[in-house]
Amino acid sequence: MSKTITIAPVTRIEGHAKITIQLNDAGEVADARFHVTEFRGFEKFCLGRSYREMPSITERICGICPVSHALASAKAGDMLKGVNIPPTAEKLRRLMHYAQLVQSHALSFFLLSGPDLLLGMESDPAKRNLIGLIEAQPELARQGIRLRQFGQEVIKLLGDRAVHPAWAVSGGVREPLTADKRDWIAARLPEALATAKKALALGYEALQRLSEEAGCYGSFPSLFLGLVSPDGGLEQYDGKLRLIDADGANLEGDSDPSRYAEFIGEAEQSWSYLKFPYYRPRGHEGDAGMYRVGPLARLNVASYAGTPLAEQELQRFRQFREGGGPVLGSFYYHQARLIELLYCLERIGELLDDPHLLDSHVRSHARTNNRVGIGVVEAPRGVLFHEYHLDNDGLLNHVNLIIATGQNNLAMNKTVLQIAKHYLAGSRLDEGLLNRVEHGIRCYDPCLSCSTHAMGRMPLQLELYSPDGGLIQRLERSSSPPLDSRK
Amino acid sequence: MSRLRLATAWLGGCSGCHMSFLDLGEQLIEISDALELVYGPLVDAKEFPEEVDVALIEGAVANFENLELLQQIRNRSKLLISFGDCAITGNVTSLRNFFSVDDLLTAVYHAGPGSAPRSDEADQVLPELLPRVLPLHQVVEVDAYIPGCPPDPERIMAALSALLQGQTVQLSEEQRTFG
Amino acid sequence: MPAITLTINNDLISARQGQTLLEVAREHGIEIPTLCHLDGLEAMGGCRLCLVELQGSSRPVPSCVTRAAEGMVVTTHSDKLVEYRKMLVELLLAERTHTCSICVQNNNCELQTLAAKLGIDHVRFDYLNQQLPMDASRERFALDHNRCVLCLRCVRVCDAVEGAHTWDVRGRGSTSRIVADLDRPWGTSTSCTDCGKCVQLCPTGALFKKGATVGEMRKERSFLNRILERRRLAAQGGTP
Repeated sequence: MSKTITIAPVTRIEGHAKITIQLNDAGEVADARFHVTEFRGFEKFCLGRSYREMPSITERICGICPVSHALASAKAGDMLKGVNIPPTAEKLRRLMHYAQLVQSHALSFFLLSGPDLLLGMESDPAKRNLIGLIEAQPELARQGIRLRQFGQEVIKLLGDRAVHPAWAVSGGVREPLTADKRDWIAARLPEALATAKKALALGYEALQRLSEEAGCYGSFPSLFLGLVSPDGGLEQYDGKLRLIDADGANLEGDSDPSRYAEFIGEAEQSWSYLKFPYYRPRGHEGDAGMYRVGPLARLNVASYAGTPLAEQELQRFRQFREGGGPVLGSFYYHQARLIELLYCLERIGELLDDPHLLDSHVRSHARTNNRVGIGVVEAPRGVLFHEYHLDNDGLLNHVNLIIATGQNNLAMNKTVLQIAKHYLAGSRLDEGLLNRVEHGIRCYDPCLSCSTHAMGRMPLQLELYSPDGGLIQRLERSSSPPLDSRK
Repeated sequence: MSRLRLATAWLGGCSGCHMSFLDLGEQLIEISDALELVYGPLVDAKEFPEEVDVALIEGAVANFENLELLQQIRNRSKLLISFGDCAITGNVTSLRNFFSVDDLLTAVYHAGPGSAPRSDEADQVLPELLPRVLPLHQVVEVDAYIPGCPPDPERIMAALSALLQGQTVQLSEEQRTFG
Repeated sequence: MPAITLTINNDLISARQGQTLLEVAREHGIEIPTLCHLDGLEAMGGCRLCLVELQGSSRPVPSCVTRAAEGMVVTTHSDKLVEYRKMLVELLLAERTHTCSICVQNNNCELQTLAAKLGIDHVRFDYLNQQLPMDASRERFALDHNRCVLCLRCVRVCDAVEGAHTWDVRGRGSTSRIVADLDRPWGTSTSCTDCGKCVQLCPTGALFKKGATVGEMRKERSFLNRILERRRLAAQGGTP
């Protein structure tokens, strides 16, 4: 008799979701799905508003990466105005962007995935969290918290608030940086770098310890999409879009990001509010057009890193490739994230040394000169698209947002299936499996708050369905009884 | 003294209030002895526990799952606090109230290939959207409010300090502005 | 001007004949909240926030349009008045869609400040959620009806100070709307001089400079009394 297992809510991810696993008559995993259960409708209610409000409106899509939305939105605004922003404004935007990547990656590693990686996939669920980590490894927890805080503080120094700063605007940024603020950042940077290096070492340790996981958590061929700098280097703020296949072949050349709609389509499924972006030329059927974005994709598409420490780490990371293609396992997202964290801190250091960082000309003024604006940045979780169309009065009459996490939707579904198949034997459900399946999702550090078409936080619930669709067993993780005792 | 059993929850919102909570930074370590985090997006409990002392709820009530969870939270918590503007006013989350759910789903889906989440299958897995996004106090009784989008860590700390000392949350004029 | 004596909040206070209760109270450091009122513009008693209790009167009166009189006994703050004021501001917040977090005037808004001052941390009424349009047809300025509280400062300053009378009001009750030139898009108004006085006096983010981003709109109002003072001097034959 077949069953469906439902895991809800998926926890320690940034959004609302469920996982269902379908078993066949033989009790083997037949299918698994990742459902995003929240819907918010930004693309509709933004219509009629001014694009100048959009950085702040779209920040409210996500409290974890508001800066990415603000920057993508401000860049779309730059295009609507048709201006080149002052060089210092771009430097400051980059500074805030790197700071956000630092805080977000630190959050993912120390507070969301860290409890699994550092305390164990099957450790006590009641302690497998931030507070448990504080108890078990207080010094490490403190360092992690301080690293995330460093990123948040830099954002606040620039934009006056750590979450939802109203600072990036079309034409540049609102305030220049002062010398004392720069000096504060510089003084704290060495500690941040030290913590990042420590995290990297812990990450390699975890990879060795968890080699079985690394081999089956989302390990499959797919395409990868990310920004690269004009000469192909690792890039997060601006550049060209590069799409490679599982062998590393560059499929679209390095294209201007504003051309994205020519090759990225969005499919839909009745069982998730989150859309399913895919590579148009390969279609949406059978995962043929599936691509991954985010830290793993960025390292895979980049020809080089460009900062000394990250370059070394990138070379080391490349060794996880088999046969010279891109690294294919989603478990390696964790390590890619840590390498990128190091990279961002190095870039922050370079910016602080820039003699023009404190210049006061940080905003270009212009009226609205274009009707279509497209802004693209690499959010912590992957490439983020904002596209705005304006009416005669400069108000929005069409908005399209393609959010990083959505683009991993196909891959997240496939990952869940792969983990379930690997670990689920004899339809015995236990806490460890539950957490492994959830962790498959955590690898992507999904930001479901971000997927405007859908969104939410992910509680995890596991349901087992019979072939005729009847609910056989529902497992919800509660703090008390062990899951396998409830039959 | 027993530790304060604190739960957090995230309904229809962006998680920014939770991020601001994390922005307490090292103060979190200092207060971790005095409180126990028993539920929320940061911990693994799947079911809202019994006998919670304080529940900080971010986000507005946007779908039936939010509604059920909120009612459960109310039944099981001594104090329920509306945490941030979405919980208090609906804020940006409630801007969808300008439109019917049908219009919204039509606008957002059916643009690409595949079947949009509006079928029987969707009803079984996805929570149905409420016709209107509601602030918490229109659904359950709320004991205190921490406004802000998000409330800054100073406001959160002011509220937590009061709670840890067994007092009611009374924010100053400067600390209770919306926005 | 002959002096009169009245009682405000149990204190005997002297005032000049012709002064409003609001003026007298403010002169004596008693703070009464207002929203539609602005020194220099004709008082209209629209927002009702300045209500005070008058002994012998069965209902509270707006202090901005009530003249002080000999022997009056006035209460400016009581539990009932505080509750009324809270309710009035809550109704304003529920009627239109203010959404402070994404407003051009966030952190510089009279309505937002007033709400916090009055102790409003939530609104007890149902939000109307009516979507109103934004008029961005004018080159330099825009009007977002969602944030308008119908204080009519714009109407009054445009008529009495600028002399253009571009603005007026259409409709009744909660369907009232500010309109330009008998309800045309602002951009097609021929009476508007683009002086921006209405924008500067608007207490919320309803009227704003078009380039302003969220939280960026600051209003500068010192021009009003400066202009009026110069005119008064000119009318007296003095040198402005």
